Amino acid sequence: MSLLEVRGLCRDYGTLRAVDDVSFRLEAGSILGFIGPNGAGKSTTLRILATLDVPTSGEVLLDGMSLVDAPDKARPLIGYMPDRYGTYDDVTVAEFLDFFARAYGLKGAQRTARVASVMEFTGLTPLAGRLTTALSKGMRQRVALGRTLLHDPRLLLLDEPADGLDPRARIELRELLRALADQGKAVIISSHILTELAEICDTCAIIEQGRLLTTGTVQDLLHPATDAAASVELSLRLAVERDAEAEWARAERLLLEQPRVMKVVRDGQALRVRVELAARASPTELDAACAVLLSTLVSAGLPVCAFSPRERNLEDAFMTVTKGRVA
Amino acid sequence: MSAPVIPAAELAPSAQATPPAPSEPWWARWGDRLNPLVVKEVRQGLRTRVFWICFALMLLACLALSLVAYLDLRNSAVSQQGSSFFFAFFFCLAVVHFFIVPYSAYRSLAREREDETWVLLVLTGLGPRRILRGKVASYLVQGALYASAAGPFLLFSYYLNGIDLFTILLVLGLAAAWLVFVTMVAVCAATLADSRVGRAFVHFALLGGLGISLVTALTSAYGMIEHTGRWMGDTEFFIGVGICLWGMLSYGWLLFEASAARLALPTENYTLEPRRAVVLQSTLSLLVALCAWQLKDQSFHAASFTGVMGMVHLAGIGVILASDADGQARALRAATRPWSLYRPGAVRGFRLALVLEAGWTAVCFVMVQASVAAESTLAGFSRALVSMLFYSVLYLSVSLLLSRLVPQERFSRSASVRLVFFCVVALGGAVPPVLASLLDLSSDAPLFNVLNPFMGPVNFAESRYRDALPDSMLACVGLLAVLAAFCADRSLVQRERRVHAS
Repeated sequence: MSLLEVRGLCRDYGTLRAVDDVSFRLEAGSILGFIGPNGAGKSTTLRILATLDVPTSGEVLLDGMSLVDAPDKARPLIGYMPDRYGTYDDVTVAEFLDFFARAYGLKGAQRTARVASVMEFTGLTPLAGRLTTALSKGMRQRVALGRTLLHDPRLLLLDEPADGLDPRARIELRELLRALADQGKAVIISSHILTELAEICDTCAIIEQGRLLTTGTVQDLLHPATDAAASVELSLRLAVERDAEAEWARAERLLLEQPRVMKVVRDGQALRVRVELAARASPTELDAACAVLLSTLVSAGLPVCAFSPRERNLEDAFMTVTKGRVA
Repeated sequence: MSAPVIPAAELAPSAQATPPAPSEPWWARWGDRLNPLVVKEVRQGLRTRVFWICFALMLLACLALSLVAYLDLRNSAVSQQGSSFFFAFFFCLAVVHFFIVPYSAYRSLAREREDETWVLLVLTGLGPRRILRGKVASYLVQGALYASAAGPFLLFSYYLNGIDLFTILLVLGLAAAWLVFVTMVAVCAATLADSRVGRAFVHFALLGGLGISLVTALTSAYGMIEHTGRWMGDTEFFIGVGICLWGMLSYGWLLFEASAARLALPTENYTLEPRRAVVLQSTLSLLVALCAWQLKDQSFHAASFTGVMGMVHLAGIGVILASDADGQARALRAATRPWSLYRPGAVRGFRLALVLEAGWTAVCFVMVQASVAAESTLAGFSRALVSMLFYSVLYLSVSLLLSRLVPQERFSRSASVRLVFFCVVALGGAVPPVLASLLDLSSDAPLFNVLNPFMGPVNFAESRYRDALPDSMLACVGLLAVLAAFCADRSLVQRERRVHAS
């Protein structure tokens, strides 16, 4: 049985439907990336999952228990981190975590041990005596994550956790989330930083105008099995001067003569080549097509110094699936 | 970066219920029982500059005043300046107690809501009531710290003569009650507005209110100090003090419950406690009024005062109860019965308001009938009392119908219903006299003002209008009120069904 099951979730604000028939499942130990443009309904969905809001219709089951019918019982199983870190002035890291541990009902030595354990996990032990307002964004984000973990939730809901973090802090966050998933916690991350999600998440769900457009593993989204012809974009560079127009033009001509090449565009010191393959083409077929092109160029005496297919990433998948509308 | 795995057993939720180890010191076990917010807020508060600056300035001012008092004592053989110095010391404390402490409490909760840390607190399971209690209690602790510094100086003024110990203790006791009430009001004010403009408005209104509260406290203290020893046998004074304390207690309690309901999640039975508080407050007030009426030899004035004040109070409370959101969360619907008037939903709030108003009127009617006064006076006031109930029901129902019949969602919001109620009441009170004047009639012409919620009861009480406003006319107004109430009830039931069906 899935840890989390969302069925036909809808949320209306007056005449506006912010969440429209959203359904998905999430297993324990997996990380789901919730992707969508601003105003797509990500935060509303997370707030419903966190029991902070009530759906207009639909059902949410957490470990078989309805979040709509029994929110009080489900709340201890949920850790929610909103997009604002929510720290206090004039409170140290240890005091902040101690306060929330008290609020969660932990007492005495058990509370002390739990706070120490969470600080150790999030790497906050050396900063225990520092005021939370004096911390960097990355550290404050860790404090917020630590707060979310104090009561050992089974489902973590993180709203834009990587927003505004520097690259180092993002990598550290990724490691923390991976460690939490390894402990068996299910994690939902809402974000629009797609490159980060591709590396963290096992599965992704793309939402737009409140509707879930697609769900699946990251690989499924990157390489969708469609019946339409698949295309790939190559980038190649020639070891010639930028103003050696004759060479560039010869390369373009030669490429356009090849049967699978649909389009060639000059992009500064490189050429971008669009190659169309048969429907459901395998990676081997792609490699073979690339090899043919390369050998043709080299045989024609063109000084090719770089030749690489441009990998389809989550941003491409996102742009393909969404239309840029907001609810 | 190291990311050690947290031992599962250590983080198991079931471990939360484990009682603390018996080896822990008593203070640690006692500390665990404290509201977590008190611990956090006091820690936080004692680190703020505001606290230390106010504390130091208050202490310096008290020290300076005591030096002046000492010099005064040296220059005169017998001092009689105790009351003046007590007021001066009280002024120093009052500025902090009735302005700084409540304002800090307001800011603390307002920031909690602005920074969205509020939802984090709610998700811990603390609940809005415990959070509000924690906020109020923590600022009262800070108030106690200020008082501990000013207290010795206040008591010192007793030795300067001119003021008795009872006055000192009474002023300090009432000041403590006022501090609790004002802090409660300030914390509750922080829950009022959600929008930025609304918050700014509440902020300035509170600053004005706190200024008035400070002036009120100082004026009252000055009056009591000036009359020191002279009101010892004055029963009226103590009745007044008792009424003030009861007002502070009951309205503070109502405000607290209403604020907790505002902050509760929609999945919670957020109306249970505030509606219970309204019922208890009304019942207790009625009991107190009955006792006072009995003690005052069944005075007609006591009965009429209870009737009028109670109806005005319940009309205001009624519009708040009836302007709740339509329907309730799915989690609550299963246990809702037709008589579950404490559960969320405008329809149940409306019915509760009607029950309370009818109950209050019935008891007051009996009180008036049993009072000692002229027959015509009793009959007139009884008609006025019944008409007040009809007007209250009529205007509440019409407001609900007007706001809920408009298809736009924003007109059926709580604030809109309340606004419509006050507009309709204002129109109902102002238009008939103006029309009567325009037609060269007396502004209190009985037939023109038969639906006037202010002049109507007065006219029904007047014996000179008995012919123009016979009992059948009162019955017509009653019938109109019942019809309006029925329509409003059906409209609310339909809206609730629609919400539940969606």
